Formats: sequence, structure tokens, C-alpha cells
Amino acid sequence: MIIDINFIGLIIASIMASAVPLILASCGELITERSGVLNLGVEGMMIIGAISGFALMTVTGSLIIAVFGAMLAGVLISTIFAFLTQTLVTNHVATGLALTIFGIGISAMIGKNFVGIPGKEFPVLFEGLKDIIPLLGPILFGHSIVFYFAFALPFITSYFLKKTKIGLIVRAVGDSPESASNQGINVRLVRYACILYGGSMSGLAGAYLSMIYTPQWIENMTGGRGWIALALVVFSTWNPIKILIGAMIFGGLTIIQFHMQAIGVRIPVQFLTALPYIVTIVVLVVISRDSRKIRLSTPSSLGKSFHKDN
Amino acid sequence: MNTNLKISNVTKIYPGCVANDNVSLEFNSGKIYALLGENGAGKSTLVKILSGVIIPDEGKIYLNENDLKLNSPLDAKKNDIGMVFQHFNLFETLSVFENLIIDSDEERESLREKIDSIMRKYNFSIDLDIPVLSLSAGQKQKVEIIRCLIRNPKVLIMDEPTSVLTEQETSELFLSLKKFSEEGILIIYITHKLKEVMELCDEVAVMRRGKLVSVSEIKNENIESLANKMVGQNLKTIKKKKEKTSSDQLINIINLNFISEDPFETNLSDINFSVNRGECLGIAGISGNGQSELFQVLSGEIISDKNSIEFNKNYIGDLNPQERREYLMAFSPEDRLEQAAIPQMAIFENVALNNFKSSNFFNNGLINENKIKEHSKKIISDFNVNTDNIELKSQFLSGGNLQKLIIGRELITSPDLLICFNPTWGLDVGAINYIHETLIKINEQNKSIILISTDTDELLKLSDKISVIHKGKLSKIMNADEVTSEKLGILMGGGN
Repeated sequence: MIIDINFIGLIIASIMASAVPLILASCGELITERSGVLNLGVEGMMIIGAISGFALMTVTGSLIIAVFGAMLAGVLISTIFAFLTQTLVTNHVATGLALTIFGIGISAMIGKNFVGIPGKEFPVLFEGLKDIIPLLGPILFGHSIVFYFAFALPFITSYFLKKTKIGLIVRAVGDSPESASNQGINVRLVRYACILYGGSMSGLAGAYLSMIYTPQWIENMTGGRGWIALALVVFSTWNPIKILIGAMIFGGLTIIQFHMQAIGVRIPVQFLTALPYIVTIVVLVVISRDSRKIRLSTPSSLGKSFHKDN
Repeated sequence: MNTNLKISNVTKIYPGCVANDNVSLEFNSGKIYALLGENGAGKSTLVKILSGVIIPDEGKIYLNENDLKLNSPLDAKKNDIGMVFQHFNLFETLSVFENLIIDSDEERESLREKIDSIMRKYNFSIDLDIPVLSLSAGQKQKVEIIRCLIRNPKVLIMDEPTSVLTEQETSELFLSLKKFSEEGILIIYITHKLKEVMELCDEVAVMRRGKLVSVSEIKNENIESLANKMVGQNLKTIKKKKEKTSSDQLINIINLNFISEDPFETNLSDINFSVNRGECLGIAGISGNGQSELFQVLSGEIISDKNSIEFNKNYIGDLNPQERREYLMAFSPEDRLEQAAIPQMAIFENVALNNFKSSNFFNNGLINENKIKEHSKKIISDFNVNTDNIELKSQFLSGGNLQKLIIGRELITSPDLLICFNPTWGLDVGAINYIHETLIKINEQNKSIILISTDTDELLKLSDKISVIHKGKLSKIMNADEVTSEKLGILMGGGN
């Protein structure tokens, strides 16, 4: 078998493409969690984004409306979560789980009319440069704008958290909402904003799946990616760059094990399917074992309700 | 410029309690004011009103004749009122600099210069780029003070600032406060420690049960007069009769070591000591020097080598707290609501938690509620816990009552040894007196105590022997009557 160098490039590009929704949703959830809110509704927000994007694209024909509509849908559904957990002070875990169940159900209901409809082609950038450079060409060029955004996002997130005032405030709220409140920071507002931002990123991740990655609507098409995204946030110890690494390993192993299955490697299929999960967690645990750093990057108030009493 | 702060007819009512009852006070810059009162007297409520954390039901605050609307902490800050809370308002995982810049509108560079000049001026030395959680309590307090100073405050309020400080740190703090006052900052100092009021302040306002009892100049007062105003009755001073104790050894700690995997804990190295029957061993030290680890090792929360703890001629280093109780040890941990009791559970349920085989609280896996309740009632009456409802959730007990309940729960089994950790932390004078009397009584019954405490006065009052823990190591054990608080202070700071 002759392995074409461009074929390797294509495999790497497909690995990166499969990592995109994970990166988007994880980076969004990371901001939410850094403010001390544990939103387990990522899967639900993603699938809502997926159906909204696909439906809007089919109905309006506009990709821009569809992409932003999906993000808005993510924002809307996360507003429910924000209202419940921040205004009515419900339990984060239970509310997040309910959000996922709700999202999966309602997306299936809306999606009934959209099953089997073919998607639209999403425009890609730098198509022409793809064949000019071997190996790197297919990796770097010919992708959608969402793809490029996703790979910039971990760095933007990291910069935002470390270098900007608002990033500092988000971390402060996650560290101690009581102190933040006593410093005059509006904890509820910050947490609302972080939850809504997380919702928009999950919505975008869903739209990427249904509009770009596999342009069609299939019920339950997120297939647990929201849960993986959640796990990535925790195992990366709330570090955006490690999220990128984790998402690449997970995407990579998922793609490679498909190819291995296709070639007929004599390893039980179940093991191959489980492989990405196991390896990603092991790698992230190994690269994040400095307990001092974990302590410093873990939002101390994660999942705890905060209400100001007077 | 002179600053004049006026509190006018402030009232704040909580369900079931009037926290501030028509309080009026006036302060002028150039003086240090003490606001004195027991816990629950309403002084914290009053300063929270001044700092915008709590909004009063009635009353007004005037700063230089301007009516202040303090609806949030931000309003207080904008009006140049700075506040250092008893429980620090710091972000532990952020760096010192991040903590300081978070509510400042200044650029990084200029703020850094400003902080540097403040630190130079007042002789503070703190690394700005390390996370706050690696600072000592005294340093954390300095960060809070710097945070206030950045804004050039007119008023600086200190809420119980010395509860976490050593003697040296306290005198450093007093020097700084006096300097601030000379520079024209109005200082309001909240405390229940009378000695500090006498040492530091010019005027003192005493509060009791939400009401302002008196305002007077320090030179017209003394410790006894202030104590009586604070408590509202004449307090008897207790003193321990230092008798010759027996030489009958009860507990013996032999080469005890503890190495923690958590980088924020302190390792214990080569701990050796023994306590005789009827004796109280005091262990002094600045908090965070291994006291909590030592307590956990002694109580069995952390298991150590079997032979490192010999109790009543048994080696018990590898036993858990439950098993140690069977050998007649008892424990009163530092954190009353987190470690000693479960806040959401009723008093009698908390009593049952301390079960041991001979208690008969449980029959064949079933709870013997009557027995437990009877037992709880006995504790409540024997130990003066101020409630008659044993179904009350323990979180609703005041600190003093909860501590009495815990000590009572431990003592009713008449243990041979009580190990307590900061038993009077944050309690008011009345409760402290009661706990101290109880501890003295234990010694008189020929039972022993290991008292780990950060309160030097308490240690000198109750201990027969004293040792100091510093960075996980114990100093040599000294006779209490040969030790002064100055000497302890030096040892606590790591000196010789």
C-alpha cells in the first residue's frame, strides 16, 4: 500500500474537523465553570444548536442566519438554566441534567420534519491553496470559518482569562462569589453572562455538526459529544490549551480507530470504540497532575449556589 | 482635612432579633475608635452597614455632613470608606496583584508603582506575584489593608483584625494603624479583646444586645470597667490553681512524623511529648504551622504509625477516632460547624454521632431515640447550653452554645484525655469564661488536656506545660509559670 502524503494530510484535517465541536463546547463551558457554575446541559444545548442551525438553514436558506440563529438558540436555552440556577437558586447538577433531557426531546420534536433533507454546502476558505503545499495544504486550508475560529478559541480564551480585566473578574467570581460580591462585583450578572456565553458556544458546536461536519439532521446526532466536552473541561483542569490537546487526541483516536476497523485490525471493535475515551482521560490526567496547579486553576465555588442575603 | 463620620439613629431588625437598636455615633479623624462588644452585640452588623454590605431598616450615615446612600459595597468604596473584614475577602487562587487590581481602574504599571510605594512607606513586604493562598494570615491582612489604601480612604474600618495574628503581627498592625491615624485616616476598630482597646484606641463605644451602652475616652476606663459594660454584669476572674501534678504518664508521643501529599498542608517532623494525668499541655503557634495536622494525627483523623502514640499503655497510632474514643480519648476540633458538628442536623442527632460501644445509642442497627434525647438533655443542662429544644438544628446555636454542647458531648463520657483545638475561637467573654472554667475542672478531676490554641493568653492561663509549634516542629516543653507571652511570641516566629 502506498501512502500518499496528501492522504495523511487529509486524515489529520479530518481529525481536526472532528475536534472542532469539542473545542467550541469545551471552551464555552470552561468560561461558565470558571465563574463557578456547573452546567451539565452542554449536550442539550449542543443538540438544540444543531437542529436550530439546520432548520434555519433549510427554511431561510441563509447560512449566516442559520449559524447565528443556532448560537442564539444556545443562548436562549442557557437562559433557562441561568434563570433557574442564578435567580431561583436551583441546584446546578439537577438543572443541567434536566436541560440536556429537555434539549434532546425538543430537538427530536422539531427535527421530525427535517429528517432526510439534504444540507447545504458550507463555503470553505483558501480552497485554492490546498493543493499547493503537500501535507500542510490540506491541513491548513480549505476549511470553514467555524473551523478556524475553533482553533483560535483556546488561545483567545486563555488570553481572555489571564490578561483581561473581565477574565480576572470571571476567575474571581469562580474563586469566591462572597468576596467578589463584597468587592462590589455583581456576581449574578457575571454568572449569567458566562452561562449565556457557554450556551452560545454549545449552540455553535451543534450547528457545526449539522451544517458543516455532516450536513444533515439526524435525531440525537450529537451522540454524547456534549458529555465529552464536559469531561474535557474537568480533565484539562480548566486549561483551554489542554482542552485543545485533549480534543485532538479524542478526535484523532476516533478517526484512527474507524480506519483501523476499516482495515480489519484484529482488535475487538468494542475496545477500539472505547479507546478514545480511555486514552484522552489518561493523557489529560498525566499532563495535569501538578496538584498545586490544579488547586490554582480549579474554580473553588464550582457548582455551589450563591445568593446574597441582606 | 478633617473627616467626620456620623451614624444617626440606625436600626436593623432581623426576624427574632434586633441587631442594631437606634444606634447613633460620631467619629472624627485623628483618633482611633474602638467598637467593643460581645459576639452578637451588633457591632458587625453596624460596620456592615457602614461598608454597604447590609442596608439598615432605618437611620442615616453622614460623611462630612453629606448623607451617604450605601446600597452596596461599591458605594462605600466610592465614598472613601475602606473595610477589612474579619473573614478576608480575598481570592485565594488569584495572585496578590490580581487581587489588588480587580477593583481598581488604574493601569497595571501605575498601580504596581502605587502598591510598591505603599509597601515601602509602611514597611510591608509581600511578593505580588504569588497566589494569595500561600500567604500567612498576617500577610493576607496586609493585602486587604493595601487594597483599602490604594483608594486613599478617609475611613478605615477593621473588623476583629487580630483574631488570626500573632503577638508580633498584632504589634506591627497597631504601629501601622497609628501611622494611618496620624496621616488623617479615621480608624474604627472592632473587637471584643479588651487589652487591645486599652493599648490602641483613644475612644471606645460599647455595644450590648444591639444597643449602644456607652461612649467614653479610654483614659477614663480600665479593663474591668469595660468588661463589665460589655457583659452587663460583674465577671469573676478565674485562675487556675497550679498544683503539683502527678508523674503518672497518660499519653506519650514518640517520634511522630507526618508527611502530607497536599502542598498546602504542613508536614510534622519528630514530634515527641508526653502528658501526665491531671495536666494540661498547651501548644502555641501561629495558625498554619501544623496545628491542624497535629490535631488530626492525635485524634486519628490521620492514621500514623501504631507505635508513635502510646495512650494508657496501649499503642494506638493506627486507630481511627471512633476506636480512640473507646480508649477514653475525646476531641474538640477547631471548626465547630464543619468538623465538630453537622450544621443541618438536630442537637440530639449531633450528640448521637459521638457514639461509642458503651453508649447504647443504637440497638441492632436501630436508633434508640429516647436514650439519645435523654442523654442530650443532660448535656444541655450540665453544660449550660442556652436552649431547651434538643430538636433545634445545631447551625442555629451561637458559637458559644455550640462549643459548650460539643465539649459537653465529649466530656459526659468522662474521658481521660481531652484534645481541643482553639476551643474559644471567636467566642464572647462569657462563653470563654465558661469553657475555661470547664477545662480547669477537668484537670482538677485528674484528667488531662492537650490544648492547641493560637490564643497566647488562654494558653498561659490554662496550661501546666507549654510548647510552641513552628513549621511542623515542636519546641522543647516548658513549665507554664516560667514562660512569658513575649517568649512564646519569639518562639512562634521561629526564633530561639
